Amino acid sequence: MIEAIPQLLVNALALGSTYALAALGFVLVINAVGAVNFAHGELVMLGGFVAVGLAATLPETAVLPGLIVLPGVMLALAAVGLVLALIGYAPLRRAPPVSVFISTIAIGLIIQHAVTAGIGPEPRVGPPLIGTGSVELFGAVIARQQLATIAVAGLLLVAVHALLKHTRFGRRLRAAAQDPVMARAIGIPVVLTTAASFAMAGALAGAAGLMLSNQYFVAPTDGAVLMLKAYVATVIGGWGRVWGAALGAFAIAAFETVVAASVSYLVAEVLLYVGVLALLMLRPRGLFGEAEGRRA
Amino acid sequence: MSRLFHTLVAALVVMVTAMAARAAEPVSIPVLVPITGFLALEGTAQRNGAVLALDTPPAGVSVTYEVSDTATSPEVAVTALRRALDRFDPVAIAAPIFGTQMLAMAPIANRAGVPLITVSGTAKITELGHDVVFRFFPTDAVVKVAQARYAVRELGVKRPAILYQTTAYGQSGHGHLVRTLAELGIAPVLEEAIDPGIKDLLPALERARAAGADGLLLQLHSGPTALAVRQAHGLGLGLPIVAGSAMHQPSTAALLDPAALKGVCAETASAPIADARPAVKAFAVAFEARFGTKPDAFALGQYDGVRMVLAAVAGGARTAGAVRDWLAANRYEGLAMSYVSDGTGNMAHDAIIVCYDGNSRVPRIVKRYDAVDGIR
Repeated sequence: MIEAIPQLLVNALALGSTYALAALGFVLVINAVGAVNFAHGELVMLGGFVAVGLAATLPETAVLPGLIVLPGVMLALAAVGLVLALIGYAPLRRAPPVSVFISTIAIGLIIQHAVTAGIGPEPRVGPPLIGTGSVELFGAVIARQQLATIAVAGLLLVAVHALLKHTRFGRRLRAAAQDPVMARAIGIPVVLTTAASFAMAGALAGAAGLMLSNQYFVAPTDGAVLMLKAYVATVIGGWGRVWGAALGAFAIAAFETVVAASVSYLVAEVLLYVGVLALLMLRPRGLFGEAEGRRA
Repeated sequence: MSRLFHTLVAALVVMVTAMAARAAEPVSIPVLVPITGFLALEGTAQRNGAVLALDTPPAGVSVTYEVSDTATSPEVAVTALRRALDRFDPVAIAAPIFGTQMLAMAPIANRAGVPLITVSGTAKITELGHDVVFRFFPTDAVVKVAQARYAVRELGVKRPAILYQTTAYGQSGHGHLVRTLAELGIAPVLEEAIDPGIKDLLPALERARAAGADGLLLQLHSGPTALAVRQAHGLGLGLPIVAGSAMHQPSTAALLDPAALKGVCAETASAPIADARPAVKAFAVAFEARFGTKPDAFALGQYDGVRMVLAAVAGGARTAGAVRDWLAANRYEGLAMSYVSDGTGNMAHDAIIVCYDGNSRVPRIVKRYDAVDGIR
């Protein structure tokens, strides 16, 4: 078993990377509107199916098919995110947050059933980011696809970090998230920043969906599980903490992999949720604290 | 005398006309299956199998049907059933593969006396004492025996690892696998329950390797089955794999490179795309032409079940009660196998093993296990 540790760690890191992308988008919406987008898991799933569809238009000889379609998938899901904001949030922005919960649950179900009806219930395999094959690393055989997933997800996480921290747009986004009334008072277009948050969340969900669809396939009913992972990652990392959620996602993947490889999946699942309960009791604001006023 | 003769002739004409009219009157066979939710793949196969049978009834039989989605809850299925009973006066109903829904529907159908035609694998649906449930897919008591026997007797597996889903489907199959292995004098070296939401199966495969397994027995749903096969191949595990019926589904094989399928086998009731018999080939061609997808054993089982109901109608069974009695008393030569009730509504008693050669996603039938439960 010891010789398998590098491989298990790389798998956990790759899975954690995709969970982190999903969790990041989830938190962006929480911060923007103060409510949970329960359709986020379905956006990840939809990203996988869009990737499958776009890859089908490429010639069979195309190299790096996943990388080629990645911008298209992110753009398409950014558009879906905007539509979600338009019909799932905008009409309810003055209603209590529970209304947004319900509307996003409804939209998630509509997306799931539309994919089932329009594309079919079969699981599909998405395009690989790079070609298949493996490399030897520390005596373990590691799939090149896993390494590519880690690299691409890492680049996207860094890009989002740079966007939020070091650009005027990012500062406006954060200002509007922290205090929309004050942001509006100083001339920040809060409606636009909210829409941008939904679009970014959609784009990140699309990227996560593409990467998951190749390694772990994609089926119309996958959304609920992905949503749960993003939610738990957010609770672990601190409600509304962008990087806390990403780190929470890595923690979930690493914990699940290590415990499942050492004991069993059932023990891993039970311990994970016992751990989350313990965390809520001991550090109710998560490992990195809660962004002020974000909990809906 | 002449007057009496004319009266008798007139009465006879009326009777014959009435009988002819009744024979020409369409019978109703609603299709209530899950075409959304987590069983949409299997439910859609069911729907398509039933619809293909209903669209091509035997000569002299006219049939109407309506398809309703039972989704994933018993409440939705019961509502659909009540609506079908109220509106259509059906002679039989194509019923969901989802055992939990069948358990909720069976008592209601039993009170109405309307046969439920299903491919659900849940053992309990035919153990409740109702005489209206007819299952056209072998239970785990048949297919899991075939799976374990093939692994042990044909592949020489002595230290199997069992990976199974935490769902009712997975746990039922796991129980039967362990029981059959015990009868064969084999103890699994690993029994791992896996939630369907788990994405990475590498930990389980590594534990199987560490436990010294010499074969993998899978009882997983479609996506996880493909994932286990792919990750085992990528890992270079080199163990023979005998999977559950999810592996025989063309949509599962479509997720994998043919090379990853080399040496992988699976139990199933039938394999329409691998069966060389002309009638089955014709079914597979008609199915793909009609629905754009390849048929699996669930589709063929439901097709055979509905065809048996139509045969009952063609044989003069015009009411739900008559159809129920006909199904319980007769043998039917379906495309997948010969169907006959064991007295509780279990109609299918045979299983097959299919294996992939690593060059194609179409498997080959390598072994037939007939009358596994002793019913011939």
